[in-house]
Order: sequence, then structure tokens, then C-alpha cells
Amino acid sequence: MEDIEILEKFAIAESRNLAFNQLIRKYQQKVYWHIRKMVIDHDDADDLTQEVFIKVWKNLDGFRKDAQLYTWLYRIATNECLTFLSNKKKKFFLPINDVAAELSEKLDTSPDISGDEIQLKLQKALLRLPDKQRLVFNMKYYDELKYEEISEILGTSVGALKASYHLAVKKIEEFLKHD
Amino acid sequence: MKLNDIPKHNIYKVPEGYFDSLPMRVMEQTAAKGAGASAAPRFSSFWQPVRLVLAPLVLLLVFVGVFLFSNDVVQQQPQPEYVALGTLPEAEIVDYLDSYARLETSDFDEVSLSDQELTAEFLNISSEAAEEELEYYQLNKLIY
Repeated sequence: MEDIEILEKFAIAESRNLAFNQLIRKYQQKVYWHIRKMVIDHDDADDLTQEVFIKVWKNLDGFRKDAQLYTWLYRIATNECLTFLSNKKKKFFLPINDVAAELSEKLDTSPDISGDEIQLKLQKALLRLPDKQRLVFNMKYYDELKYEEISEILGTSVGALKASYHLAVKKIEEFLKHD
Repeated sequence: MKLNDIPKHNIYKVPEGYFDSLPMRVMEQTAAKGAGASAAPRFSSFWQPVRLVLAPLVLLLVFVGVFLFSNDVVQQQPQPEYVALGTLPEAEIVDYLDSYARLETSDFDEVSLSDQELTAEFLNISSEAAEEELEYYQLNKLIY
């Protein structure tokens, strides 16, 4: 079902729930994986994904029809991730590296993660990046979004995103070379 | 090692049937929050800035209130009534001193009279009479 059709059905009280159910089914995986790659833990990703869709439910009436629905969803999910990671750092009074270390440990111990050594090493390298740079990398490398789309999601210029991505790749390759 | 050498692979897993049950769990939450869900954010978005402004305003009003009240109390305290001593009749001053005044040694510090004058004034006898009186007592024989 097309986004426009979902939005039209959502606007009608009788078909509201059905339209919303279809919206979740269409975008749940994109939203979940976007969040999961940032917070690593499945339970955290599950909570945040539900929170994202509850916010969508509350605010979909005010959504501008000329904007792309999935970039709007990505933006909400991105904000949820950044808020979650920021709160995590404040809650434990830990510097960034310690939260990264905690997430890195989850990569080794979580039963919901499986991959060969090089894949795990890549994920650990990603955790060394600042949160926003990691977001840019994930959206470009894994989700294969265009810079223009990432720009719309993050509200950052295309030039800055290109620079951020190339810097992230350099850092990752440096990490893979030495560690 | 280059990034391109690493195959893109999702290492994260989800519990079986997770994406089948997720829509239902979200729908249950939206139903639990009820139809008033869209009204709630407007209410909270109205109160959030109001609360931010109201808190320091109330604090300011309390401080101003306490300041004004304490000033008022200080101003309303009865002030002692001062009367020029020179305007009172001497008999009235003597009566007052007899009744209320309890003189201490230090009260005499500011008295400008000489020792002799003090004797004459307070004992109400001449200095000769006082000397005679003292000679009558042999002080070194007194037993304390």
C-alpha cells in the first residue's frame, strides 16, 4: 500500500486503526534495524521502536503530506536513539568511551548477536565513532540512503554528510588495521 | 584492510516471530492510551512553558512578600516615647528614681562631680562630720 493511501485512510476514523496497522507492518523493520544498530541491545531497540510508533500515532495528523513518510519515521527514530544514548551517558555519569565499552561488551555476550570475527570487529569499530557520525555511516552504508535523504532526516547539509561519512570510513579502516 | 573487503552482513538477530507480534503490541498501547492521546500533548505542551515561567515567578513573589512584610513589621513596632528630661519637674524624677531606678557603680562613671562633692551630695553630711564619724570606728580592729 502506498504512503498516500495509508495517510488518507488514517484520516478517516473508521479506517484509522487498519491504516496504522499497515503503516507499522510496512516500516517496522526499517525502524527497528535503524534503532538496533545504534543501541545494540534487542530489548532497548524493542522499547524504542514501540515508542517511535506511538509518537507516529500521536502526530500523524500533523504530518505534512508533501514530505516523505519514511524520512519522517527515520527522523523520529533517530531522535529517540540519540535521546536514549544521551540519557544512558547521563544516568551512569560515564564518559562516551564507557558507554561504547558497555555496548561493545554486549556484542561479545548477547545471544541475539552472531557473526564472524571481522563482522564483530567492524561493529566495535563503529562504536568508537561519535553517535551522529555512526548514524550517518549506518544510513549510508547499511540502509543505502542517498545523501539528500540523510540530509532531510538529520537536517545537515549534504557536504557535511559526505565529509562525515568519509571520515568515518577512514577511522573504521584505521581501527581494523591496528586492533 | 578496506571496508569494501568486508561483506555486508547483519549480525543482529531478533526472537522468532518478533515482527509478526510487534504491530499488535503497538496497537494495544495506542488503544490503551485512548482517543484522547492527541489532546494530551497539546495540554502538556501548553503547561510545560507555563510551568517554567510560573516557578521562578512564584519564588520571586514569595521573596517580595517576605521582604515587604518584614519591613512593615519593623515599621509598625511601637517606638519608645522620649521626653526631654529638663521639662520634667524635679520631684517627678526623684519619685521615678526612688521607685524604679537601681543604680550600679558604673552609673557613676559619667557623673562629673568630684569625690568630695559626691560625699556631700549623696551622704548629705559635711566632710568634717564624715571624718569625725570615721575616727569613731577603728577600722583595723573590725572583724569581718
